Amino acid sequence: MGYVKEERPTTISVEGTWNIGSYHYKGSKLMEEYVKGLKQKKLIGSFCPGCGKVIVPPRNLCGRCHRIMDRRKIVSNRGTITCFIVTPPMEKGKLKVLGMDPVETGLIKEGEVVIPVFVKFDGSDSNTDTILLNVDPKAVHIGMRVKVLWAKEPQGALSDFEGVEPV
Amino acid sequence: MIRRVAIVGYAQSHHQHNMQKTREDMVFEVCKEALHHAGILREELDTVITASTDFLDGRTISSVFLSMAVGAFLKDESKVEEDGTFALYYALMRILAGTHDVALVEAHTQGSTFNPHQVTFYTLDPLFDRQIGVLNDIAAAALQARMYMNRYSVSEEHLAMAAVKNITNAAENPCAHRKMPDVSVEEVMSSKVFYDPIRELMMSPISDGACALILASEERAKEITDKPVWIEGVGSCQDAYLRDRNIQNLDSLQMAARTAYKMAGVKEPFSELDVAEVSEKFAHEELMIYEALGLCQEGQGKNLIERGTTRRDGEMPVNPSGGALGADPVCATGLIRVIEAAKQIRGEAGGYQVPDVRRALAHGQFGICAQKNAIFILGGNGS
Repeated sequence: MGYVKEERPTTISVEGTWNIGSYHYKGSKLMEEYVKGLKQKKLIGSFCPGCGKVIVPPRNLCGRCHRIMDRRKIVSNRGTITCFIVTPPMEKGKLKVLGMDPVETGLIKEGEVVIPVFVKFDGSDSNTDTILLNVDPKAVHIGMRVKVLWAKEPQGALSDFEGVEPV
Repeated sequence: MIRRVAIVGYAQSHHQHNMQKTREDMVFEVCKEALHHAGILREELDTVITASTDFLDGRTISSVFLSMAVGAFLKDESKVEEDGTFALYYALMRILAGTHDVALVEAHTQGSTFNPHQVTFYTLDPLFDRQIGVLNDIAAAALQARMYMNRYSVSEEHLAMAAVKNITNAAENPCAHRKMPDVSVEEVMSSKVFYDPIRELMMSPISDGACALILASEERAKEITDKPVWIEGVGSCQDAYLRDRNIQNLDSLQMAARTAYKMAGVKEPFSELDVAEVSEKFAHEELMIYEALGLCQEGQGKNLIERGTTRRDGEMPVNPSGGALGADPVCATGLIRVIEAAKQIRGEAGGYQVPDVRRALAHGQFGICAQKNAIFILGGNGS
């Protein structure tokens, strides 16, 4: 910041930064419950006693009923694809999944495609976003049955849930 | 006004420095409580208007994740940046337009998420002021205070007296954040200097807090409550940017007040208003606000504080709730003033109730040196 970077006919261009520093967001304890469940290979959702809907990952409020969703429900780790997209072939540095480059970590090979999907797990009423792995991209379709692909050694972290794969 | 519109319910959080609640839970609780206070269901809301800033919320289009908390699920919803009084203005216009009858207005900030004073630096002109780097809201307030004090022979004691009045008032308010029932002028004047003459106890505290109120058209208001608080007048005005403006007076506040007085038929504010709740982010602003509101002549604000006229038991009580010096959850602060004014009219202010309040003024502001101001004149008892 502080110098004329480029001369133009009627305006000047001045460089400025927008680095306002770090925030301290207040998070809900619900995410802790959720990742503790992942460590045991369980998907925990929040259950609304008002309308009976189950949301995965859990959230605290039901907007329909305008009330706290104060109950939990473990849902199946099997579900149905409700929609999907297929990316162009992957390169290093193109995508970050859970803060990591899936090409660098070896989850996806360079040149392979990634298939982000919404999954409705059996017993839930929500779209859970994740990636579909171990599949021929041409075979993917809405309604496809999938199951959770768990990390080999779950750590109690969001990365324990690596994605889904066909049943 | 083409329709009469009333406040029929409200709620606010217990404002505090670092609330152990998520933004969503905090907002949900006040909205739920405001609906309960009005005795209506979420389903009866026609529109929801919220106020916050993306900077302080730490996300863009920051209302998207709050739609469920504020009761806007599958409803008409909109958000304003800045103070909640501008959200109230927006909701009022929606009801006046005849397209909606019942609105929920919500405003919040969690100052503990991100320092609000740091954000104000980014409201400055990036081509000059930000490059010079010496200004922020506190420095600008200090410049304003010095100009005002020099012009009208106002002393630091006068500023401290305004702070003492509000901070001791806040001690009676269960929702206020900064409670120091025995604070003295000496204590204020020996608190930490930020930018001379602005000291810690002359500045509003950084608070987490939220509030919500329910607004209704005349027909609906009468169905909902026996104690509607009518909006009798409104005014809003925006001044020029800092550099091009006379900062020793609050011209935009004066114009907003005049507009609101005219609409409400107020000719002598000092005698016709029973109480005022104002957003003084700094102690000197309270004196400047007295003058801009026409509660005294220009430069005479110090006399009101010296004589105790604006104390809770004075002739013209200002900020019996403790004002912004008592709690400042930035975007909620002005809307809290409206709620506090409504509480006074309904006789619900408990330990800080002013007797026989029929007409009250509420003030919200935003921007460096109170660049932008909104005024609401409220009336009760079927007026």
